[in-house]
Amino acid sequence: MKKKKIFSLLLVATMTSSMLSACSSNSPNTTDDSTVETTETSESTEVTTKSPDELVTLTVLAGQSSTDAGIEDMIDVALAEKYPNIKLNWECVDWGNDFQPKMQQYMQSGLPDIMIGKAQDIRTYAPQGILGEIDSTYTSRVLDAANQSAAYNDNVYGVVFNALYQGVYYNKDMFKENNWTIPKTLDELQVIIDDCNAKGIVPFASHMVDTWSIGNVTMQFAMNDVFNKEPTWGDKFRANEVSFSTSKEYQQAYQYNKLIFDNTFPDTFSTEQTDCDAKMVLGEAAMKVSGSWSIQNFLDINEDFDFGIFPFPNQTGDSKLIFEPNLTIMTSAASKNQDAINCVLDLLTGDKDLATEIYDYTRTASMLKDVTPTFINPSQEDIDKYASDGMIVDVTIGNNQLTWGGFQEENAKDIAAWLQGDITFEEALKCSDDRVAASIVN
Amino acid sequence: MSKQNKTNYNKNMFRQYLLLVLPGFIIFTIGLIIPMFMAIRYSFTSWNGMTQDKPFVGLQNYISLMRDSEFIDAWWFTLRFTFFNTIIQNVLALLFAVALDRGIKAQKLYRTAFFIPCLISSVIVGFVWLRMFSNVLPAINDLFGTHINFLLFGDGSTVLSGLLIANNWQWMGYWMLIYLAGLQSIPAELYEAAKVDGAGAIRCFSNITLPMLAPAITICVVGITTGSLKVYDLLVSSTKGGPGRASTSIIFKTYSTAISGRKYGYGSAMSVTLVLVLLIVALVQVKGLKNKEVQA
Repeated sequence: MKKKKIFSLLLVATMTSSMLSACSSNSPNTTDDSTVETTETSESTEVTTKSPDELVTLTVLAGQSSTDAGIEDMIDVALAEKYPNIKLNWECVDWGNDFQPKMQQYMQSGLPDIMIGKAQDIRTYAPQGILGEIDSTYTSRVLDAANQSAAYNDNVYGVVFNALYQGVYYNKDMFKENNWTIPKTLDELQVIIDDCNAKGIVPFASHMVDTWSIGNVTMQFAMNDVFNKEPTWGDKFRANEVSFSTSKEYQQAYQYNKLIFDNTFPDTFSTEQTDCDAKMVLGEAAMKVSGSWSIQNFLDINEDFDFGIFPFPNQTGDSKLIFEPNLTIMTSAASKNQDAINCVLDLLTGDKDLATEIYDYTRTASMLKDVTPTFINPSQEDIDKYASDGMIVDVTIGNNQLTWGGFQEENAKDIAAWLQGDITFEEALKCSDDRVAASIVN
Repeated sequence: MSKQNKTNYNKNMFRQYLLLVLPGFIIFTIGLIIPMFMAIRYSFTSWNGMTQDKPFVGLQNYISLMRDSEFIDAWWFTLRFTFFNTIIQNVLALLFAVALDRGIKAQKLYRTAFFIPCLISSVIVGFVWLRMFSNVLPAINDLFGTHINFLLFGDGSTVLSGLLIANNWQWMGYWMLIYLAGLQSIPAELYEAAKVDGAGAIRCFSNITLPMLAPAITICVVGITTGSLKVYDLLVSSTKGGPGRASTSIIFKTYSTAISGRKYGYGSAMSVTLVLVLLIVALVQVKGLKNKEVQA
């Protein structure tokens, strides 16, 4: 009986200590504010890009989009050639679903040496003091606009490697056959939609089973109707100066989803991205609000598919094409392998053949100076035109105002519920307003 | 046996028990007890899962949960999924087990065919059924010119049915084997004696088969119920909790809140409610069903 009591006490002690340890556990990679300040003000250390004499294995957490899977093999091959004593231990995860959970996990147990995410991740993790500053040796090889996306408090914490463009992809042949011109206003877009419907053509291809696609297009709409005019809309939202329920501009951005929903495949909530892209290529739809990630599918299905891109028209007819800094290489501030990390950064920013190979494979745009992809992108002509007219905007502005995980992502679910008729439009707006505390990026 | 010998014997026995229990106890403590109590502790904080600070907020998370319509909706979906899943899966598994127990032809083939889906990961099953509902089955409509609505995952009003089909397809064979093992362990003499007494097939089933199967029923009902309450991986690859939030289970909601939403403390409070429900359900079912068990 006495022993049973001791045994029970032991169990209770274990439970109590576990609760207490939960209360007092330290995160090895998080530092207090003073440490952040020190990091920010410290001068950059001497850069070494000499291959180490002994084998060094670097851990890499790669948050990938669907287009990126496979680039790790290209990097491994190039690395083995230039820096044979450095090996990369890859952990490739889906950026949308798994990158943040993995980062949370590693912030408790120790960060990998290198992390590959998106530029918007800088604003989430740099304030925690866990990211290493990138030396100017490497940032000087990257386009200035890209470096700005990866900066926090005037320090650059990531190498932005490539970029995606987002807007309305259109079937050029279909536009020519029907004498449709690129719409700049909503009225002009409506004319094309009406003509499509009259001719039995589905105006928009969409795959709303993927809630992320709803969140993505909503931010595209919001960039042109909200953030281009008020870049600090998110700050004002948190300061209770604006809200979804009162902002006509943001409401319009939500309403565009209805426009797409009313003019797309009836089975959009059962259609996956690959099916959707295939339908677009096969001429079953005229347009698709999407991003460069669709190009890989388009050209894989039919390498001769001729398509262009234009920004989704806004209320004032001055919408811009969306630019999204994509693969962004971040490093751990606490890594003991900084020299080896520098070698990897040197390879990624300095090996033009490798960079071109990756751009051609992922069908994405280069963010490195003097490196141009060689794949034929039928929409490049349109992109160049908008770039020369200064009609391109960085979506990081919006993503840094309203965070993706826990806010945009959740709003997208409410939009889907509204489109399905489960909740009203006003309820969807109120849900977004009620989520205000989750909207901040850091 | 003298009192001294008895005491020594008891001590030895206790040491042996302790030695046998210790590995399981350590693993159970590290893998379940400690995380569970850490989650309880976190549920009283507003920790975001990243910072060093874990501000104590008392019962605030639990009070907020009571007013959170998304949390309530997630529970409502989970309970409906569990209720229908438990009934359908048990009934079908039992029926198939009875059919196979009758010695039909190609019994082994059927048994294997029914069992194979449970060897597949639920994530794959989700993908398979997403394709089935959106590509494969609609092709039947094209073939025969019919207009059957197979797009079950695409509408909030039909998504539960689609998930029940997918889940039952996967797990029915597994529970069927448990019932089959139970059926095959029932002594044939009982049926023979009942027949002599003039009992028909239905009488035999209700008065012999069901009572004798009670231990198997306990295992199946508790297993299916607790498994259904924890549904997550099937949803990740098929509906992603949608359309909208129509198929968001409590685990799915907890994960998206704690991890994607960076509200670890609030998510922990959600997980605590799940643990409580699981404990209550398992306790009630085991107590209730154990009373009905009989031995041959």
